[in-house]
Amino acid sequence: MSAAIEAGVWRAPRWLKQHETLLAIILIIALVSLGAFNNRFLTVENLLDQGRFITETGLIALPMTFVIITGGIDLSVGAIVGLCAIMLGYSWKTFGFPLPLAIIFALFVGAVAGFVNGYVITRVRVPPLIMTIATLALYRGLAEGVSQAHSVRGYPDWFYFLGQGSVFGVPTQLLLLAALIVVAGVALDRTTFGRALYAVGANETAARFSALPVDRVKLIVYTLSGLASGLAAWVLVSRVTTTRMDMGIGYELDVIAAVVLGGASIFGGSGTIWGTVIGLVMIQLLKNGLALTGVKGDATIVVIGVALILSVLIASSLQRRRD
Amino acid sequence: MSATVAVSAASPFSGAWRRLASQEALLAVAIIGLAIVVGLINPRFLAARNLSDILLGNAYIAIAAVGMSMVIISGNIDISVGALIGVLATVSGSLAVAGAPILVSWVVPLVLGVAVMAAQGAIVAYLRIPAIVVTLGMLSILKGGLISVTGGKWITDLPQNFHLADLSLLGVPMPVVIMVLATALAALWMRHSPRGRAIYATGGNPEAARLCGVDPRRTVLMVFALHGFFAGLASLVYATQLRVIQSTTPQGLELTIITAAVVGGVSILGGVGTVVGSTLAAILIAEITSALVFINVSPYWTDAVRGALILATVIADILRRQRRAARGWKR
Amino acid sequence: MKARLLITTAAAMFALSFAAGGASAAGKWDGGDDLPTNPIACEAGAVAPAAAPKPYDGGQPTNPPNLAGKKISVVDVPKLIGIGYFNATAQGMQEAAKELGNITVKTDGPTEAKIDEQIRFIDNYITSGVDGVLFAANDPVAISPVLKKALSKGIHVIGYDANSNPDAREWFFNQADFNAIGKTMMDSMAKEIGEDGGFAIVTSTFTTPNQARWIHEMQDYAAKCHPKMQWLETVEAQEDNNLSFNQATTLINKYGDKLKGLFGMTSVATPASAEAVTKAGQCGKIAVVGLATPNAMKPYVHSGCVKSVILWNPIDLGYAATYAMRAAADGKLKPGSTSVDAGRLGKLNIINGSEILLGPPFVWTKDNIDKFDF
Repeated sequence: MSAAIEAGVWRAPRWLKQHETLLAIILIIALVSLGAFNNRFLTVENLLDQGRFITETGLIALPMTFVIITGGIDLSVGAIVGLCAIMLGYSWKTFGFPLPLAIIFALFVGAVAGFVNGYVITRVRVPPLIMTIATLALYRGLAEGVSQAHSVRGYPDWFYFLGQGSVFGVPTQLLLLAALIVVAGVALDRTTFGRALYAVGANETAARFSALPVDRVKLIVYTLSGLASGLAAWVLVSRVTTTRMDMGIGYELDVIAAVVLGGASIFGGSGTIWGTVIGLVMIQLLKNGLALTGVKGDATIVVIGVALILSVLIASSLQRRRD
Repeated sequence: MSATVAVSAASPFSGAWRRLASQEALLAVAIIGLAIVVGLINPRFLAARNLSDILLGNAYIAIAAVGMSMVIISGNIDISVGALIGVLATVSGSLAVAGAPILVSWVVPLVLGVAVMAAQGAIVAYLRIPAIVVTLGMLSILKGGLISVTGGKWITDLPQNFHLADLSLLGVPMPVVIMVLATALAALWMRHSPRGRAIYATGGNPEAARLCGVDPRRTVLMVFALHGFFAGLASLVYATQLRVIQSTTPQGLELTIITAAVVGGVSILGGVGTVVGSTLAAILIAEITSALVFINVSPYWTDAVRGALILATVIADILRRQRRAARGWKR
Repeated sequence: MKARLLITTAAAMFALSFAAGGASAAGKWDGGDDLPTNPIACEAGAVAPAAAPKPYDGGQPTNPPNLAGKKISVVDVPKLIGIGYFNATAQGMQEAAKELGNITVKTDGPTEAKIDEQIRFIDNYITSGVDGVLFAANDPVAISPVLKKALSKGIHVIGYDANSNPDAREWFFNQADFNAIGKTMMDSMAKEIGEDGGFAIVTSTFTTPNQARWIHEMQDYAAKCHPKMQWLETVEAQEDNNLSFNQATTLINKYGDKLKGLFGMTSVATPASAEAVTKAGQCGKIAVVGLATPNAMKPYVHSGCVKSVILWNPIDLGYAATYAMRAAADGKLKPGSTSVDAGRLGKLNIINGSEILLGPPFVWTKDNIDKFDF
């Protein structure tokens, strides 16, 4: 470092230039400024409350990080949320499943939906963007057809604990999310599965020639994506006490924004769970902070759009300087 | 290149057959086939009035899909186009109501469309931010900005001569004229002009394109600018069809446009596809939507059926490509 | 293999559609909900018999601060912002706020009619400490938890246009009884197309609770009083003008002479249907009856294509709700009250436990539509 200074050029240390670190710094600056404008923003109560709203997109963002690292994408997650929500209510009310079984059935439906995506992507080799755009329409349509636009409500009290209850003051679903963040982070960082994801995303042909089970890995991540959507559906239904076929509309864009903001390259090969979490938190807290400061909904959307572009611009140009 | 020619000349499948097996032909067959099948079930579907209504009501999607196809062929994507069309339609209507000359209210959206898209294209091409990020951000900016500025107030007192979509040229309604012209001109340009072909090169293999003297960055910028122009055209048709302009972004429009491009054979891997395909696909999707009503598909199931059909088309397209690749053809 | 795949898909599609189509044709009109209906008597001018007074069934804020006479700030979270209808309710609220002088109302909401977004908006405003929340719910059940949270923080909660569960809000302003809408719509249509005409319905989505109620009330009223009128089909078209126009055009082309009337169930569907009828050259041959805001309908009413536009006055709705909010904050409107003072609208009665009715539906015709601007 001293050599660099002697040469007249100060090079920032490596960890500082990591995308995640830059993002975290931007996040902290944003939080502090918003907190200065508004004294209700940086309270424990508010932040925990936001944790409730973050969970659904957060759960989906974890496997979406995996998917994007492999160079793919999944636009059907929102539709899978809608489908699973409907199947949860439908199987409970119309098939007569006991509620715990209905929940498991909904998760199963999500996993199957994700599996179908993965299967067609790997076997038939339809590009992920195209496949998931088609299943986005199909799954949403299935949700509407099965539910016949009816909602299912009137769940027993214990069912609402996940979406509305707290454990030691922390919202239940937030604990679930935190646990899964740890699991996902460990899987990505410390297992061969995780390393295989990076390899597939960086250079799929080379990965194949290295005898990595590329197709199996992809199948797994898309199935996980569907499963996470089912999980998010369960949390959502528990939080709003009803099922609707239009649940989850737009989730895919929120999730992708978080993952991309967190530093994952859309072309594959890079990205971390930590980055995704920061991206997630940043978007949610920005929305919340702006709203508390009195900025109206439409202006908030504009700010989020600008922030997204700017953050990626800043982080990528600083990174490029390193190269 | 010569080896390919030799192979195709020697094979029993000569040029004419190859054209027949293309995605465009497949779509044309599907359009006609569906019309016949539905016509058998409910003959009213084949009434000239109905067929022309299908075309007129959805021409704006086909026009926007021309530009979107170019973007996807160049290896990028754009999810802000729906919001942009909403904004441009509002601008157009506001100018007309404010008393600006009608020509101004028609031209300004075109210019604005080019400007907004070119800005995005510049960020994608020169600052190397992935298109999905830039357009996702722009989507938010346009959506929120539109409501902020207009307060959501609908535009209702449009002057009579504003309605471009009501005019006709030589008996053909304007939306169809614009759709056909846009598709034909774009298709010819992309096939025969070096700048047009550069789009395919950029999308297929930017490195190779650069080595061949094509500047991928300039091409991408140009593609986005063109896309903005077509979006502007689409917004004109969209705005001038009805007497009310909702000052909101039409929900799900970008997805419909992307679907039209994708079903039309444009490959997300870049480098493949034509605008003729995307126009035919837009027509097919519109036809399916109408057909589902005519054959009494329960309205609760129409979206699922449409989704299944799109999926089937996409899978069929990929399988067809693979079979041809296996037989040693190059597209 | 491609051919096989496509043929199987097509076959599956047809099988599915006929099965589903058959199932739905068997009884209920598409788009109607499952709740019980209460059709009014058939004579013109009949109104629903006064319901037996119900005890108060709303929710109350916990330990509300004493705001009598003090300045309060209220947020209005409609289903979505950016449509004429809610622009009009917001306008009414601003009029009331100006008259009262000690209340500010801010209208903020999602840009699409999504319940999840609406919940987040309300939650943010709870955190930022508003004194009152006015709402029009995208979903009655889903919105209730966050409204109850507001009540638990001592915030006053009053709904209008689209209700929540009764115990999640203090009062609800009903613009017009569902069965009154059903009667007005069917009677207007019958007057134009005769007692055995065929008609179709264009609605927004099947999950919008108000529209679903109205359709069901219309169905049961028609079964009682216009049994020979023929319901042909219901189509949904989101809140999009162009989509609604295309759907209406498809209906006109599909049914030809059998279609004598189109119902528009939203302020987007009705002008779009009128435009479809105009473009098809069927003005005078196909009637268009629907709920809409007047500005969008003026060209069609003037051209004679549409004879009557039904709604209630959304400006009055917002206006009255604001007065009620002020009264609730001042402690003047509480459980047990029988009426509320609504400024220029006079005293409005409380019915059905915790509902306040604005009045009968309002009908715009060629004679009065120009007096309104929203």
